[in-house]
Amino acid sequence: MNINATFFAELIAFCMFVFITYRYIWPSMASVLEERRKEIDEGLQAASESKRQLEEAKEESSRVIDAAKSEASTLVNQAGSRADQLIDEAKDQATEEAKKIKETAESDIAQSTNKAKETLKEELSVLVVAGASKILNKEIDESANKEIVDQLIKEL
Amino acid sequence: MAKEAANNLVETSDYIGHHLVNLTFGWCEKTSSWGFAHHQQDLSKSLDSACEVSEMGFWAFHMDTIFMSVFLGVLVFGFFGLINRSAKKGTPGKLQNFVEFVHEFIGSAVSSGYHGTSKIVAPLAFASCLWILSWNLMDLLPVEMANFFGQAGSGINYFKILPTADLNAPLALAAVVMVLVTYFSINTHGLGGFLKELFIVPLGPLEFISFVSKHVALALRLYGNLFAGEMIFILIAIMFGQFFMSFSQTLWFLPGLIMNLAWALFHILIVALQAYIFMMLTIAYLNLASTKH
Repeated sequence: MNINATFFAELIAFCMFVFITYRYIWPSMASVLEERRKEIDEGLQAASESKRQLEEAKEESSRVIDAAKSEASTLVNQAGSRADQLIDEAKDQATEEAKKIKETAESDIAQSTNKAKETLKEELSVLVVAGASKILNKEIDESANKEIVDQLIKEL
Repeated sequence: MAKEAANNLVETSDYIGHHLVNLTFGWCEKTSSWGFAHHQQDLSKSLDSACEVSEMGFWAFHMDTIFMSVFLGVLVFGFFGLINRSAKKGTPGKLQNFVEFVHEFIGSAVSSGYHGTSKIVAPLAFASCLWILSWNLMDLLPVEMANFFGQAGSGINYFKILPTADLNAPLALAAVVMVLVTYFSINTHGLGGFLKELFIVPLGPLEFISFVSKHVALALRLYGNLFAGEMIFILIAIMFGQFFMSFSQTLWFLPGLIMNLAWALFHILIVALQAYIFMMLTIAYLNLASTKH
């Protein structure tokens, strides 16, 4: 057996290294690992949270898209019916307008016909008087015969 | 022929003897002075003692054991301390990964084996496991290396690089464990309870013997395994040595090579296993001491 004072030297050295480990190495390593563990935990939680949020956002967006689609289709429908309505209205208006124009034209025609008739009557009366005076070859008292002529004209 | 064989035998036993002697610095009774054992070093005449190693008493230091163990300790714990100092909270580098793996490994061994609250157990397990491992790894260096450098001019003729093969070192570790086990036991059971458990319950003084012997066994197990491993490396090295001594022994070279390789591979297991066993037993003893039963 070879036991000697080396034992004490080793004893002291071992106590020293255990103390160094206890004081400086072990706790700092543990804290680094603990912090990393916490960080990873937080990261994982954040990831699952954002996953959940993504899911929600997806749902929300599909909901919005559906709403927009249905709105669009109603709008299209509305627009279609509105267009039909507008066309109908325009047709009605046009028909009415045409009717009005036609009426105006008819009344105009009637008026000018009447006017022409009047003018013709007057001209005819003059012509009749002139013709009669020529036929009679004599001066006819215009005022005396006017009554007759007017009578004639009226009867025309 | 017979003479040559006898010479070989003397050389062989000399060789083994040479490899089993520590570089010893101690108190020499004859001259009443401190010094290195006779002819162990050529560095300084004034430090050369008249005493042989065997003539030195208890007050002697194995300088190689102390130097190697402290050197390896500074290396290992310095490495861990340095990596720790630059440890980042974010993505760890490769070295930090390794350090953290070791930490986790020992931490899980401690948390599964020790159920008390003491904060010293994990650092103790860490320090003992890594220190012993670093010692044991020295066994994988070629047995001739230390002497080779010694003969190459350092002036040191005896140098054992394996601290585990010096019983003082494992015994010191086991002594620290024993002191802690005693402290834990007294903490848990009180001084009276502890003494009662040691000397009275259930088998009387046998309990005390078992208490001491389990700690001595803790040291001897480690020492024995590594000493035996070292011894076998030395024997294999002798086989190699035959190759250089006489041409007729050339045949020993190949088996020597194969055996050395095989034993080194197997020894890697022992090297790590013994460090692990020491750590686990330390944890188990401390756990036992800190639980009421």
